Amino acid sequence: MSVSVQSPALSSRLQQFLQLTKPRVISLIVFTAVIGMFLAEPAERLLTAGFWWAAIFATLGIALVAGSAAAVNCLVEQKIDAVMARTRARPLPMGTISSPETLLFAGVVGGVGLTILHVLVNPLTMWLTLATFVGYAVIYTLLLKPLTPQNIVIGGASGAMPPVLGWAAVTGGVSSDALLLFLIIFAWTPPHFWALALYRKNEYAKAGIPMLPVTHGDRFTRLHVLLYTVILVAATMLPFATRMSGMIYLISAVALGSLFLIYAVRICVDYSDALARQTFRYSILYLSLLFAALLVDHYARF
Amino acid sequence: MQASAIWQFSLDSLHALAWGGPLLIALVVCARFVPLRTLVISTTVVTFALVMLGAYVRLTNAGLGCPDWPGCYGKLSPGLAAEQIEAAEAEAPAGPVSLPKAWKEMLHRYLASLVGVMILAIAYQALRGRRRDDYSEPRASVGLPLALVLLVVLQGLFGKWTVTLLLKPVIVTLHLLGGMALFAMLAWLSARMLELSAGPPSVLRGIRPWASFALVALGFQIALGGWVSTNYAALACTDFPVCHGRWVPSMDFDQGFHFLRELGMTAGGEPLSNEALNAIHWAHRVGALVTLMVVGFAGLKSLRVRDLHGYGMALLALLLLQIALGVTNVLGSLPLPVAVAHNGVAALLLATLVMLNFALNSPAIFRR
Repeated sequence: MSVSVQSPALSSRLQQFLQLTKPRVISLIVFTAVIGMFLAEPAERLLTAGFWWAAIFATLGIALVAGSAAAVNCLVEQKIDAVMARTRARPLPMGTISSPETLLFAGVVGGVGLTILHVLVNPLTMWLTLATFVGYAVIYTLLLKPLTPQNIVIGGASGAMPPVLGWAAVTGGVSSDALLLFLIIFAWTPPHFWALALYRKNEYAKAGIPMLPVTHGDRFTRLHVLLYTVILVAATMLPFATRMSGMIYLISAVALGSLFLIYAVRICVDYSDALARQTFRYSILYLSLLFAALLVDHYARF
Repeated sequence: MQASAIWQFSLDSLHALAWGGPLLIALVVCARFVPLRTLVISTTVVTFALVMLGAYVRLTNAGLGCPDWPGCYGKLSPGLAAEQIEAAEAEAPAGPVSLPKAWKEMLHRYLASLVGVMILAIAYQALRGRRRDDYSEPRASVGLPLALVLLVVLQGLFGKWTVTLLLKPVIVTLHLLGGMALFAMLAWLSARMLELSAGPPSVLRGIRPWASFALVALGFQIALGGWVSTNYAALACTDFPVCHGRWVPSMDFDQGFHFLRELGMTAGGEPLSNEALNAIHWAHRVGALVTLMVVGFAGLKSLRVRDLHGYGMALLALLLLQIALGVTNVLGSLPLPVAVAHNGVAALLLATLVMLNFALNSPAIFRR
C-alpha cells in the first residue's frame, strides 16, 4: 500500500478522534473568540502583520485547548452519554476509542494548544485559557453538573470566556469592553440551556443530572427562562450605554432581543416541546447575529 | 503594619498552580470517586495526624519557620526558598527561621490544605446525596459538613495569623482548639457513618448527663493545656505533685490569664513573671484532677453497660496514659515524643468521648 493512501481503518479512527473534540461546539467557541479579537482593535490595526499572527495562532491554540476540554468532557460523561439517545453513538460509549487513549489525546492536544498560546501569543492568554479549561473540564463537568441545578449558570462562566481570550490574545490585556462581551454570553447561557433541558427533561432525569426542570419542575424553569432573557436583553444594552458600540448595534440588539423575549414569554405562558426546540435554535442564531452586529458596528459606525 | 500582617498572601503564581493543581485533583477524586463513609473516616484519621503534626511544629518552635503565608518566602517549598532561609539564618543563627523548621511548618500547611479539600469533598457529597432517593447507606446531614467547611476555613485563617501575628498565645491556643473541634466534629460524623449505637434507652439515661459533662470538662482541660503550651509554661514547675516544693506556689492569675498580649510579655509589655507562668501551669494541674474525676466517672459508669464496655475501657486507659504522659513531661523536662503524645492522647480522649455521646444519643431500638 502506498503511503499517500490512507487505510480506511485509519481514516475512520481519525474521524472518531475528531468527533471527540465536538467540532460544532468548537466552531462556536472559535467564532466568538475571533470576534473578540476583531472587536479589540481599531480598523487600522488590521493592516499590521502582528495582529494577524497573533489572531491566527490564538485561534489555533484556543481551538486545540477547546477540543481537549471537549474530549475530557466525553471521557467523564461516557456513562451518561450511553444512557441518552442523543449521545449514545459517541466513540467512548460505542467502545471504538478507549479511556486511556482519550486521556492521552486530550493531554497532547491541550498541551500543544497551551504551548502555542504561551510561546507564540502571550502568557496571559495561555493562563486565561488554562483557567477556562479547568473551569469547564473539571469544575463544571466533574463537580457542578452532577451537584446542582445552577450548574449551567455557574459553568456558563467558562462558555463566556472565548471573547475575553481573543481580546487578551491581540491586545495583551483584558479591558472592560471585553468583560461586557463576557457578561452577554454569561446571561445568554441559562435561557439557551434551559430551553434545551425543558424538552429533554426525561433524558436528563434518566441520566441522573439535576437540571432545573428535573429538580424544580417545568413551571419554575419556564419562569426562569423568561427572567434570564430579561437580564440578557438588559445586558445587551450595555455596549451601547458605554459607547463601545453605536446605532447599528443598538437597533440589532433591540430587534433580536425583542424576538427572544417573545419566545421567552410564549414559553412561559403557552409551553410546548416544539416551542422549546424553536427557542433553543433561535438562541444560537441570536448569539451569532448579535456578535455579527457588534462586529459590523465596530467597523462601520455612523 | 498590623493590617498588612492580617491580609498578606504570599505565593508566586506558578507555585500556587503547583500547589492548587494537585489539590484540585484530590478534590475531584474525593468528591466523585471515594465512597462517603471511606472519605469521612479517612478525613478523621488525617485530621488526627494533622493535629499531632501541629503540636510537633509548636513544640519544636518551628511555627515561624516560614515567616509568610501560605508560601515560604512566596515559594511552594523551603527547598525553593533555600537562599532566603539561609540568609535569614545567617543574620540570626538562633532565630526562628531555619531549613528544617521551614520544612516542618510547610508539611503542616500541605497536610492542612489536603484536610481542607477533603472536608470540601465531604460537603460536596452531602449536598449531592440530599438529591438522591437512595436510603441504602447512611446519609450525612448537610448542616454538619457545612459547619466543617466554615471551621476549616477559619482554621486556615488562624494558622495564618499564628504566623503573621508572631505566635500570640491566644491565636495559637485558638488554632489548637479549632483543630480539636474539627477533629471532634469529624469523629461525630464518623460515628454516624459507622452507625454507632448503644443499649436500650432505659439503661442509657443515667449515663448521658455524665458523658456530656465529661465532654465539657475535657474541652476546658484541653484549652488550659493549649494555654500552657502556647505560653511555654510546661516547665514552670519541675516537681510533681507539688510545685516549687509547695502545694500552692506563688501565683499571678491576672497576668497569666490576660488573653490579649504578646508571647512571653505582659499586656503592658514587661517580660512575663514566673508567678504568671506558675498560675498557668497550676491551673492545668487542677483541671487535670477535675477531668480525671469527671471523665473517670463517666468511664466507670460505661463499663457497667454491656454495649458501652469498650468505651469505658478506652476512656479509663487513655485517661491513665494521659496523666502518666503529663507527669513525665514535668519530671523529664518535656521530652519531645512525650509532649507530642500528650497532645495526641488528648485528641483520642476527645474522639472517644464524642463517639460515646453519639452512641448514647442513638439508642439500639433505632438500629436497622
